[in-house]
Amino acid sequence: MKISLNWINEFVDLKGITIDEINKKINQMCCEIEEITEVGKETSGVVFGQILEVKNHPDSNHLHILKVDVGTEVLQIVCGAPNVRVGMVTMVATVGGKVNGQKIKEAKLAGVESYGMCCSESELGIGSDDEGIADIDFKVTLGQDIKEVLPIDDVILEIDNKTLTNRPDLWGHYGMAREFSAIFDRPLKPLPVLELAKFKGLKKVKIDVKTDKCFRYSAMSVANITKKRLPMPLRIRLNYTGMRDINLLADITNLVMLELGQPMHAFDNNLVKDIVVREAVKGDKLLTLEGETHEVNPGSILICDGKDEPVAIAGIKGGLKSGITDETNSVLFESATFDSGAIRKTSRSIGLITDASLRYEKSLDPELASIAMARILKVLTTIDKNVVITSSYSDVYKKKYEKVNLTIDSEFVSKRIGIKVTNEEIAKILTKLGFSCKILKNQVQIAVPTFRATKDISIKEDIVEEVARMLNFGLLQPKPLEFSVLPVEKNREHTLEYEAKLMLAEKYGANEVHSYIWNYDNFNKEHKIETKPVLHLLDSKNAGQSSIRSEMVPTLLKFVSENKEQLDGEVRIFEIGRCVPSLDENKLAIEEKHLAIAFASQTKTQEELFFCVKKFLVDFASNKLLLNLEFTKEGNVPNYIHKVNSCSVKNGDVILGYFGLVNPATTKCIDKKLNICVCEIDFTKLCEKEGYKQKVKVPSAFQSVKFDLNFLVDKNKTYGEVREALNKVRSKILVGINFVEVFEGEVLGGKKSMLFNFEINGKDHTLSSEEIDNFRNDVIAQMAKNGYALR
Amino acid sequence: MKQKIEELNKEFDENVAKVDSAEGLENLRLEYMGKKGKVALLMQDFKNVKDEAKKEIGMLVNALKNKIETKISEFKEKITDKLNEKEEFNAKPIDFSLPVSDGVGSLHPRTIILKEVEDVFVSMGFNVEDGYEIETEYNNFDAVNVPANHPARDMQDTFWLDNGELLKTHTSAAQNRILRKYGPHCKVIFPGRCFRNESLDAGHENTFFQMEGIVVSENVSVSNLIYFMKEMLKGVFKKDIEVRLRPGFFPFTEPSFELDASCAFCGGKGCPSCGGSGWIELCPCGMIHPNVLRNAGIDPEKYTGFAFGLGADRLVMLKTGLNDIRHLNSGNVKLLKQFKTKI
Repeated sequence: MKISLNWINEFVDLKGITIDEINKKINQMCCEIEEITEVGKETSGVVFGQILEVKNHPDSNHLHILKVDVGTEVLQIVCGAPNVRVGMVTMVATVGGKVNGQKIKEAKLAGVESYGMCCSESELGIGSDDEGIADIDFKVTLGQDIKEVLPIDDVILEIDNKTLTNRPDLWGHYGMAREFSAIFDRPLKPLPVLELAKFKGLKKVKIDVKTDKCFRYSAMSVANITKKRLPMPLRIRLNYTGMRDINLLADITNLVMLELGQPMHAFDNNLVKDIVVREAVKGDKLLTLEGETHEVNPGSILICDGKDEPVAIAGIKGGLKSGITDETNSVLFESATFDSGAIRKTSRSIGLITDASLRYEKSLDPELASIAMARILKVLTTIDKNVVITSSYSDVYKKKYEKVNLTIDSEFVSKRIGIKVTNEEIAKILTKLGFSCKILKNQVQIAVPTFRATKDISIKEDIVEEVARMLNFGLLQPKPLEFSVLPVEKNREHTLEYEAKLMLAEKYGANEVHSYIWNYDNFNKEHKIETKPVLHLLDSKNAGQSSIRSEMVPTLLKFVSENKEQLDGEVRIFEIGRCVPSLDENKLAIEEKHLAIAFASQTKTQEELFFCVKKFLVDFASNKLLLNLEFTKEGNVPNYIHKVNSCSVKNGDVILGYFGLVNPATTKCIDKKLNICVCEIDFTKLCEKEGYKQKVKVPSAFQSVKFDLNFLVDKNKTYGEVREALNKVRSKILVGINFVEVFEGEVLGGKKSMLFNFEINGKDHTLSSEEIDNFRNDVIAQMAKNGYALR
Repeated sequence: MKQKIEELNKEFDENVAKVDSAEGLENLRLEYMGKKGKVALLMQDFKNVKDEAKKEIGMLVNALKNKIETKISEFKEKITDKLNEKEEFNAKPIDFSLPVSDGVGSLHPRTIILKEVEDVFVSMGFNVEDGYEIETEYNNFDAVNVPANHPARDMQDTFWLDNGELLKTHTSAAQNRILRKYGPHCKVIFPGRCFRNESLDAGHENTFFQMEGIVVSENVSVSNLIYFMKEMLKGVFKKDIEVRLRPGFFPFTEPSFELDASCAFCGGKGCPSCGGSGWIELCPCGMIHPNVLRNAGIDPEKYTGFAFGLGADRLVMLKTGLNDIRHLNSGNVKLLKQFKTKI
């Protein structure tokens, strides 16, 4: 929103306050100023002049050669404007002057000398009229600088609307002036209004309000309007604060809105005499002033005429048919208050956000409706003395907000701000902001003004804010916290999450990625990936991305597919994220934190990738969790995972997830040359239990004996099975059995061999050869019992 | 005999000086000290020495023996040194300028930045909590005092789910649970991923990270908040940065503030990154609304506290210089891998 300091100055004397000070204090104590523009600075040497003579240019069909009296001399000026006429008073930029930054020089236009430029309002940036040069309709002295008469110089503050969300009272200059008055401690002048009670005796406007969503509807009719345009100083004001000037009646409603924050509407009184406010039904539509037809949702508020025909979408836009034109000379002014939520809903649903709807959304004070009416009549009757007011102030006031009264004491405020504040100081600050305060029995009794009571201020803490910001909390003395010092317990899972990520990055060369929480339906379908989502978004801006993922690997596969070319066929990525594999009995999401890994390579074998993933799992579990994970074939894997070359990851009885190759079908969809191994495990479950560290064993001082044994086993036997048999070997002298290698070759026929290395130690003596032989034979015998012969 | 010893002595000196290899030295040792070496031969003559001279000759022979042994071991060392020197000198030079790969992958920049920031908080005695991403309407809105008709609850802003839950729109959704867990004396931060139903552009993501913190106790005031925010930002940015507080509005705090930091790109002069203002909106904060405390079973008359949010993604962009937020969820490994594990 744009705020004009000239306008503010009308209500609060800003003399002596620098722009810097305003910038600093308003930002710190009120709202955010995004930009400050000094308008008019780039315009100089523009004076009033009267056209004495108009001649057609000999070599041009649209240029004229003018003789213009600028007081001290008569200038020859070549001008292209179509509206030039003898006797017309206009604005003349003289040689050496500037028009909005453009320097005026002597020039030859189509061969004719020109000593200056006649300006349009639009060229000067003070009006929207760009069809001809300014046509001055008020008394001026020729040759006088326009800046001496008109408010060309102004400072415009661009306020960030977001910072006014909670302050309906700041959506107009008068409310903002109240803040200036409080912040700079200068008196706020009263708003000149017309006494509405004077017209009590006139006929009433018939108003029928049929919905509770309209809190207040007031109207008044006016006839015999003879003026067509707003006086130029006010037009400049409108243009400087972001509006275009259109005609007197439209402009005057805008002017009051910008001044008070209360949107107003003017209907042509010949077309609209009575008012019905009702909710829309299906099929209701309206051709608005913009020339567009909007069909509104049932429940939206409509303003209708006596025949129940819609004439405006309440709080948003007026209709074209009943709207004012340049010919309108009698109007019905509307000043109303609507439910903020209803206006917002309608405005969003028809995609029409207007200056009015923005203000209504903020929960306007219904009390403002009558003030705005009194104000608009004051402005109109001042501009146009012929105006006749033809109705009484007709007012249907359905919802009055309850008065907000609060009692507060200085201790409550001091404790929360952190510095000592007295009741007197609190009362002084609040009074400046328009609150009424009384100090009684060591407490401040506060009546909150209606313009702050619609939603902004309702509890004592709200008062703390008012006091704190007016004390300028940017200047409050920072105070350290008083807190007991106790050791802080680390969040184990959170810490482990980082450790897992760091391990994957540092030791396994993997790259962490972040993906979205929804499935990519198209990708999954194209890559033969089936997922079973249990949750869906009701509304997503992206088609095919509306189901919440139940697992994370599919998204990682999408990333593998997207990255493989860039990374020359070597992708190692991982993510720890959330997914929802199931719902509970109340249909609430059971959210899980998963660790997903995808290692893909063109050069590494499937087995290499497989064991790289396994190595990480074992590494992380044994070193960070002190756990021995188990890997089994029990449990199910998703359809895109290899049925044979995958396995479940288990801790105790709990299956944590799986790891394994991506099946050929999906792999080939991604890239025929790629081998891909993935893993998905429930990270929370993985971290749930911590194992224990085995006791440190001091190595024996006596020499160990080491020897190898090579066993022949069937091809389909696993290491796990062979190892299980070996684990049955019990002996006091056994230190350890280490797996060395597996060998498969034609020489072994249908079998393979597994080589193990044994270490034995007498602990308190050197082993005799007899002891060694006995142990060796025991092992061989034990293994033979299980069907594993020596090779 | 005496003469023989002297001759042998002299002869050895001459011979040992000529030795230039380990092999020659070993031969020399055998020649003199071997079982049938010259010293042994000499000893055979010892039997014939008269008894009265035996003592003197014995000493001479021993001296000779010692000398030969010492010399040989001395020479042995010298020769080994020489050989090692030669080996070193003739070694094939390694091209030390050849590159190596550190084999290190990368963490997501958010992980790096959040860890950095978390460490600052942990050093200040904060607990760290994880929230959920799927939340109930109550936790996300009602519990933190967002009114029933608030625009944020609209479908256009919030991702609603078909079971009535939603994707959390802010980390504050965890406040109620955390306040209940820790009670009226707590210092907790809770980073998390949040979602808004927005269209994407360089500055807007529908999936982004925030980091929120709360401090509750008796007598916590706005002055404490200001002190804390300044110190905390010093820790996060590792330098004094200029901050300013402005009044703000959030349903969950009262009073509410916006904390701006001077723009890191232009140093406060004004640039496109800060929209020309020289300030970057960094950290909404405020005193926790009494309703929020009450909803968590904490008496707001007795206890007060403050809450603050840090736009984690914005912090990532500030610190990495990335100017398009969409990179963060893109899965573009070629870009992400450059972050390694530190920023």
